[in-house]
Amino acid sequence: MSLSVLRLARFSARGLARDLRAADVRALFVALALAVAASTMIGFFLDRLDRGLTRQAGQLLGGDLVLEQGRPFDAEVRATLEEAGLVLSDQVDMVSMVSLNDAFQPASLKVVDGRYPLYGGVHVDLGEGVEVVAHGPAPGEVWLAPRLALLLEAKIGDRVRLGESELTVGGVVEREPDQSAGFASFNPRLMMHRDDMAATELVQAGSRVEFELLGAGPPDILDDLAPLMERLRRDGVEVRDVRRDRPGLGSALARAERYLSLAGLAAVLLAGVAVAMSTRRYVDRHLDTAALLRCFGATQGELSRLFGLQLLWLALAASLLGALLGLAGQAALLALLTTFLSLELPPPGALPLWLGVFTALAVLVGFAGPTLLRLKRVSALKVLRRELDPLPASAWLVVAVASGVFGGLLWLYSGDLGLAVGLLSGGLVMLGVLWGLGSLLLAGVLRLTARLPREGGRAGLVQALRLGGAQLSRRRTASLGQLLAFAVTFFAMAMMALVRGDLLSSWETQLPAQTPNYFAINIQPHEREAFEASLGAAADARSALYPMVRGRISAINGMAPREAVPPEARGDNALRRELNLTWRETLPEGNRLVAGTWFDDRQAGRDARETGGWFDEVAAEPDTKPAAERVPISLEDGLAERFGLKLGDTLTFTIGADDIVGEVASLRDLDWDSFRPNFYVIFPPGVLERFGHSYITAFHLDDAERKVQRDLVREFPGVTLLDVDAILAQVRDLLTRVTRAVEVVLAFVLLAGISVLYAALTASRPVRAHESGLLRVFGADNRLLSRVQGAEFAILGLASGLMGALLAELAIAGLYVAWLDLVPRAHPWLWLVLPLGGALLIGGIGHLLSRDLRRQAPATSLGLLGET
Amino acid sequence: MTPILHAEHLVKQVRSGERRLTILSDLAISVFPGETVAILGQSGAGKSTLLGLLAGLDLPSGGELAMFGHRLADLDEDGRARLRAGRVGFVFQNFQLLPTLTALENVLLPLELSPRADSEQRAREWLARVGLGERLDHLPKQLSGGEQQRVALARAFVVGAELVFADEPTGNLDPDTGERIIDALFSLNREAGTTLVLVTHDHALARRCDRCLRLDHGRLEEMRLDEVSA
Repeated sequence: MSLSVLRLARFSARGLARDLRAADVRALFVALALAVAASTMIGFFLDRLDRGLTRQAGQLLGGDLVLEQGRPFDAEVRATLEEAGLVLSDQVDMVSMVSLNDAFQPASLKVVDGRYPLYGGVHVDLGEGVEVVAHGPAPGEVWLAPRLALLLEAKIGDRVRLGESELTVGGVVEREPDQSAGFASFNPRLMMHRDDMAATELVQAGSRVEFELLGAGPPDILDDLAPLMERLRRDGVEVRDVRRDRPGLGSALARAERYLSLAGLAAVLLAGVAVAMSTRRYVDRHLDTAALLRCFGATQGELSRLFGLQLLWLALAASLLGALLGLAGQAALLALLTTFLSLELPPPGALPLWLGVFTALAVLVGFAGPTLLRLKRVSALKVLRRELDPLPASAWLVVAVASGVFGGLLWLYSGDLGLAVGLLSGGLVMLGVLWGLGSLLLAGVLRLTARLPREGGRAGLVQALRLGGAQLSRRRTASLGQLLAFAVTFFAMAMMALVRGDLLSSWETQLPAQTPNYFAINIQPHEREAFEASLGAAADARSALYPMVRGRISAINGMAPREAVPPEARGDNALRRELNLTWRETLPEGNRLVAGTWFDDRQAGRDARETGGWFDEVAAEPDTKPAAERVPISLEDGLAERFGLKLGDTLTFTIGADDIVGEVASLRDLDWDSFRPNFYVIFPPGVLERFGHSYITAFHLDDAERKVQRDLVREFPGVTLLDVDAILAQVRDLLTRVTRAVEVVLAFVLLAGISVLYAALTASRPVRAHESGLLRVFGADNRLLSRVQGAEFAILGLASGLMGALLAELAIAGLYVAWLDLVPRAHPWLWLVLPLGGALLIGGIGHLLSRDLRRQAPATSLGLLGET
Repeated sequence: MTPILHAEHLVKQVRSGERRLTILSDLAISVFPGETVAILGQSGAGKSTLLGLLAGLDLPSGGELAMFGHRLADLDEDGRARLRAGRVGFVFQNFQLLPTLTALENVLLPLELSPRADSEQRAREWLARVGLGERLDHLPKQLSGGEQQRVALARAFVVGAELVFADEPTGNLDPDTGERIIDALFSLNREAGTTLVLVTHDHALARRCDRCLRLDHGRLEEMRLDEVSA
């Protein structure tokens, strides 16, 4: 006779219901629920954020797909995109003079059609305050940026002249939804309708005009269009895809996402350790049941199904609770972020939920599976001979299966097989090392406690330490297991806390309080000193003044640029536009040399000779024109990578009518989020001085010093001041909120860590009960028992804290370099906090959880072994 | 009549370090349906080992052994388990009640493996028959030793077992309680018409069986009942 599925299900459910009072089952439940909560919370959060951000990126970009080139798009491309299902909008960008009465100003024209904007709204003042509208200016109208209106002294209703036509000022644009241009266009914005373009006669042969074709549509359409995009790129069209070119948010959020994934995995790992420990106790407790059922005629298969089902119910119930917690958690995380991002978030998808349940089951199978097999292997004869326990699952098997499953989860969540294999193999090697180190450490500590005098001044404490050490020593293997579990727990907790701290401080150093909030451009050489003097003491954190010369890349290694670079880079902006070139004696602040050498003295000396001294830039007018000669240049490594350039390659720049050949002498890594002037190409002094140039700088002004800004505008009308305070504030706000999100997740990791402690202490309870019972029988009083237990746990905590610190320090260094793009640093305080904290925490919790053992009569304690 | 249990040339050896210890050698036994058989022996004589073999909980080192006409050697561990399901009951010296299960649930446990429509009703009835009808929901720790053993008796008979093995059923009880348990065991056995094989060193208990066998130096010898009382 065998058990029907239904009956087995009922039987197992009843068994589980009875078991719920047992500490190990509760620990299992909590651990699994935490694993699910952490993974679903982060899963839901990242999934929704990702979809929301893609949507927002579409808005910033102007569409899901943006094509850009120097001539109008032909009908064929347009038709293909429309047939694919994209909604298209045309846009033209160019720079032109605009005038009103006697005032002339260069303006950055944005010519839009009736479909503009594809996403989002334009913040515009049409005469009755700023409102958000979903259209551009009507034909016959222009909208001006506030600065342009100010410079032209234009107001709504005025007629401005643009090329051959006159247009009415219809509004003042406060904010455009698609503002990804950054500082590429320094001139203030003028927005007009496409229908007015022809009448202006601004587009002539040879004029610098960018034609853009913007498309909106779902991601799968973009996937279908990939081959066409590839072809267009090869033809020199710049293609921006919302998923690849998500602008704006920079590295902060990307890092936070990685941190969250990592923290989620840390929580899952810790929960796994807790599951493994609780399962041992669960199995020990059910060996008698299994033997009895064998005796009554249950087959091995029935036993496996029975206990497997019991744990399946547990996992499902824990998943349900975990998923609810996860949902609540992600809502909290998103509430923190969305007010800032003003994202319209899609509702939570089902995928993270399934992933969560899958995680719970995987953790259960991986961390509990091999141990559970003991139950089925139990001999029926155990009912007659109690000592006949099945052999414990091999530690190697347990570790191997758990590692395999965790590695799979790592892969699943990170989507990076290399990283998963790397972390896992690193972790396993570390575990081996830990095992060895742990044995040595434990042996050392125990030898130390064993040498404590049997009688001494403060006999109580010394005796407690000696006895506590002796107890650990008697259960060497179990103690080592606990030591490792605690060490891994401390390691994971410390790591997440450290990474959080370092993330925050790296964000803080990235954007310190004095981060420049103004850029000044177009400072003429003769204005330089006066400008610096006017800025004076008001501005702090000023960057250097960088000279700026505009030049175009006209050849790479002697070939036409488009032929020299990889096909996918043919549409690159840097090939189609003039680049801002600068020269400099020293490596700019925030730049890091990653290859080659910076301009050396020999180079500087030659230039000094040729130019009559590179300090005197204004006076520099070389006697001989070094056109054909190669000069060393320093290149930004991202650009070098995109163009497939290496040290020694040459780039020819056309500046005005001259060509200059630069040889790549060094590659620089720089931080584009730094709010400082950054340059793709830097020349040594003595080469570019003879060309017309202006200066750029960035500086910080406090609110109190804002009047300096007005003075500067008045004193240097030709200088353009860009206020980036709003952007800066946005980024800061984002960082603050991301920090909160990180803290919420960290709390889960801590909870998971505590569940490990609880599980470990629960698992070792019966043995401890037996020992304290024996000590009681031999005459130990409550105080001594209490001290012995406290000492035992504290020794364990101290040793695991030491090991956790070692592990954290090593792992974190690897992680920073490999995954988070942070520079590793040592954390000396860790070596103090973890051991002491560990001793206190484990000592405290252990002592507390053993409280009732001390209250028990020795008979009960001694009878406790193997029961309840 | 076919014996319900039959063993010939039964050998059980165990390894003890380098040495091989022979616990049972060339042992033979036949138990027929409805019989009550006591196996007597000194402590360490191998009584529990023999019980384990006869119940199919362990395999002999040699010899022939059959239960319900099936050669146990032909069956694997699961096959022997299936053979026991619903047909064999056990009473242990240390009761072997599961501490987290109530009296009723403990009695229901073997029924989970041999389900019947009226499982719970049967379990209640059997608990009532051993005088624990009012203590169905008590956990083992809330019951005295004698009460726990009575739960174990109800559990042994509830499946309608044809064969019940009892291993020192009074070993953990005081004489008076032991006496009452034995009364209950034999009365239930008589009512159910079960075959009973019990292992004990208690001669008073053994005397109440139809047959007594002494396990000595690994072999069984038939004893006369007056020998037992001696």
